[in-house]
Amino acid sequence: MSLVNFTTREITCKIVYYGPGRSGKTTNLQYIYGRVPEGRRGRMVSLATQSDRTLFFDFLPIDLGSISGFTTRFQLYTVPGQVYYNATRKLVLQGADGVVFVGDSQARRYDDNVESLQNLQENLLAQGVDIRQLPVVFQYNKQDLPRDLILSPDELDDALNFRGVRSFGADCLHGHGVFETLKGISELVLQRLAAGSSAA
Amino acid sequence: MRVIEPWVAEPLERFLAESAARVVLLTTSSGQVVAQHGFTRALDVMSASALGAAIMASTEELGRLTASGASRSLSHQGPSRGLFLSAFDLPQGRWIGLVVYDRDSSLGLVRLFFDRLVGELQAVAPAEVPAREVLAADFENELNASLRSLFGR
Repeated sequence: MSLVNFTTREITCKIVYYGPGRSGKTTNLQYIYGRVPEGRRGRMVSLATQSDRTLFFDFLPIDLGSISGFTTRFQLYTVPGQVYYNATRKLVLQGADGVVFVGDSQARRYDDNVESLQNLQENLLAQGVDIRQLPVVFQYNKQDLPRDLILSPDELDDALNFRGVRSFGADCLHGHGVFETLKGISELVLQRLAAGSSAA
Repeated sequence: MRVIEPWVAEPLERFLAESAARVVLLTTSSGQVVAQHGFTRALDVMSASALGAAIMASTEELGRLTASGASRSLSHQGPSRGLFLSAFDLPQGRWIGLVVYDRDSSLGLVRLFFDRLVGELQAVAPAEVPAREVLAADFENELNASLRSLFGR
């Protein structure tokens, strides 16, 4: 739930990057970390295995600046994508204000995307959150791979994006689509906050 | 001291003075900082809050999975400083306290006065949170400008 400080006029929101293992969730945060000026981001915390797979989460706080007179901060989290780590995925998802579902565009990862999306719905439901009520955007990563290996954003929309929410093709390694995705989810989260207008 | 809710300030001030702790953070269960007091300049507050919330969440879940009972508090004693984490409930939801103390204090003192802090917060916390306007309807332009400057575009 967004945290609003009316005294210091600050807003803090939690965004979770969700998706199957190796789809590029951590890469999104690493790219953002590398591009955002030092004064407008905090330290990136990564709780990873020895082989650099996310064990618990990655965490990156960024300062969006002043919006409607409120200093607005987003706390970006990733979940571990591997099926094995569902218990920790659930914990990271708690209190999310918005979710970026990072899909892997490779055709061979189709089932993994579907399974991860179902897992997201189940984990939200277990916390009493209906995914239809939560700001969600889709990002289809690895669109830079050869065409015969991947599905197009339209094909992935047909497979995953039943609600017809915003979706973005991306190549996170080189940054394509990372900014657009963050902008997309930021707008939805703040629109929801503006509509709800309640203190923490 | 930085607090989001003014009713937190007095009990928190008292806690820090009585326990002689170095730093106290109060966060939501998802790791967002509600209040901070003490030598917070020496601490990456947001990272500490995110990690503290994660530790508490995983500890409670582990307690549930093993049917060993959900532990609401845990502590870590380092060579020169100690860390105390504890979850408690308010009408505003579950909050977590993260306390760093050194040789001027002790785990016993921190626990004693933390329990008192929780009691005081529970006594003064308002039961209902009034809705207030947060963002103007046309915030998108400001958001777009902020994000463009953030990414150097």
